[in-house]
Amino acid sequence: MVEEDTEIDCVLRPMNCEINLLSRSDGSTMFMQGDTTIVAGINGPMEVKSQKMAYDKLSIEVTYTPLTGPAKVDDRLIETYIRESCESAILVSLHPNTMICINLQEVQDSGGLLACAINASCLALINSGLSMKFTIAAVSCMIEKETGKIIMDPDNTQLKNAKAEFTYAFDSINKDIVCCHSVGRFSQSEFLASVDKCKQVSQFIFDFYREITKKYANTV
Amino acid sequence: MDLQYKTIHPVKYLQDHLEQGIRPDGRKFLSFRPVSVNVSSIVQADSSAIFKLGDTSAVCGIKAELATPKADIPDHGYIVPNVELSPLCSPKFRPGPPSEQAQVLSKLIDIVLSNSRALDLKDLCICKNKLVWVLYCDILCLNYNGSVIDACIGAMIAALKTLTLPEINYNSETGVIVTHPENRKAFTVRTLPVSASFAIFEKQLLLVDPSDDEEDMSSTRFSIVMDDEEEICYIHKPGGIPISQNLLCKGLEMTKVRAKSIRSVINAAISTLNVNNIETNSPK
Repeated sequence: MVEEDTEIDCVLRPMNCEINLLSRSDGSTMFMQGDTTIVAGINGPMEVKSQKMAYDKLSIEVTYTPLTGPAKVDDRLIETYIRESCESAILVSLHPNTMICINLQEVQDSGGLLACAINASCLALINSGLSMKFTIAAVSCMIEKETGKIIMDPDNTQLKNAKAEFTYAFDSINKDIVCCHSVGRFSQSEFLASVDKCKQVSQFIFDFYREITKKYANTV
Repeated sequence: MDLQYKTIHPVKYLQDHLEQGIRPDGRKFLSFRPVSVNVSSIVQADSSAIFKLGDTSAVCGIKAELATPKADIPDHGYIVPNVELSPLCSPKFRPGPPSEQAQVLSKLIDIVLSNSRALDLKDLCICKNKLVWVLYCDILCLNYNGSVIDACIGAMIAALKTLTLPEINYNSETGVIVTHPENRKAFTVRTLPVSASFAIFEKQLLLVDPSDDEEDMSSTRFSIVMDDEEEICYIHKPGGIPISQNLLCKGLEMTKVRAKSIRSVINAAISTLNVNNIETNSPK
């Protein structure tokens, strides 16, 4: 069992994280997965314009800024994924009539950007101290074109031989699927196999969250 | 009485229905709405289709234009899907620049097209490095009542399937372009990706093909796109409550059946078009 664990551990790229690096945000983090790096900052709960106000829950605004140029249509999709995933994790009914802003800045993209962005925003949420139902961990994986092998957390060079690429986010309680995104064409069995493998690996990300949080929270 | 109840307690109204094992529009939990397709309804466009999914309806028009290709992919044409959600289709939308939801829909359709390999962009090349076709697929939602992505993808695929492009003679030395509008060649669509949407309620209750009210009050939604060979082209679940793998599997099985029936409806609509063409051409 121990051997198997270390084997899976090797397949995730090394994760690295710096917390509280932005002094004006309520929670911030710089999260690195291999070379893919995202800076996330959270502001709020704060006052909201009447247009976006929800009387029964906290509204969430996500702004994703790509490395170059203004935000494009592609980035709207990332924002939607992050907003809806975070909305499921936060106890939104605790803060009615307010909003939080999740701001993300891409620093470097070498594969698995969506997964990295979701993990960064989750870490920033933990850092901001908002009450959450569970934490979420996103894992990306790909299926290699020739061999049909599942490769966990691929980088850009590996992605060039990908038949399909998946990004899943899991919750920390039952490890059920919170969010799911796919690129490429694949069969049902390939899909199920990739979900299983990512589910196992997600535990390492949850452990990493715990390790990071322990540094500043002495009750964890 | 029913209407007042629905306006005052929308959530309870839905819950009461679901407890009785029925949905507000009278459907069972796992029954889809009827589909109807009409192709080549717009004469000015190069091809067009109207796709109706119960009340939800979307119309797609495709306009083909000539352009120079990008330098890094000199033998690929472009396809530009664009979804418009106007205030006409639902009070949720305001006039002005495309809403976030419209942008996300356009992007999703773009992803589905590139994932499914239904089109080979090399087919759109006329002269390498010089001239390619650009297909502008404008999708307009006429009535927004849930599962709009299914209607949009259906309308676009039906329109692409009936697309014909005029023959072009291009002289690469002089750069003269001669168009033969009467010699039109059909554009090959290799597979028909079909999308199915699902909504999940508390206690992991699965509803297929949700209406707008059901979508709004659901805990989470997901969509699955499948092609002819039952390969999955896209699984889209943006967030919401966590769901188990079994539920996704159930969705996959339902999509398989649904995709077959939608494909037959699209093919039937296209075959009636061919019959009409023969009838109109024969007197000449």
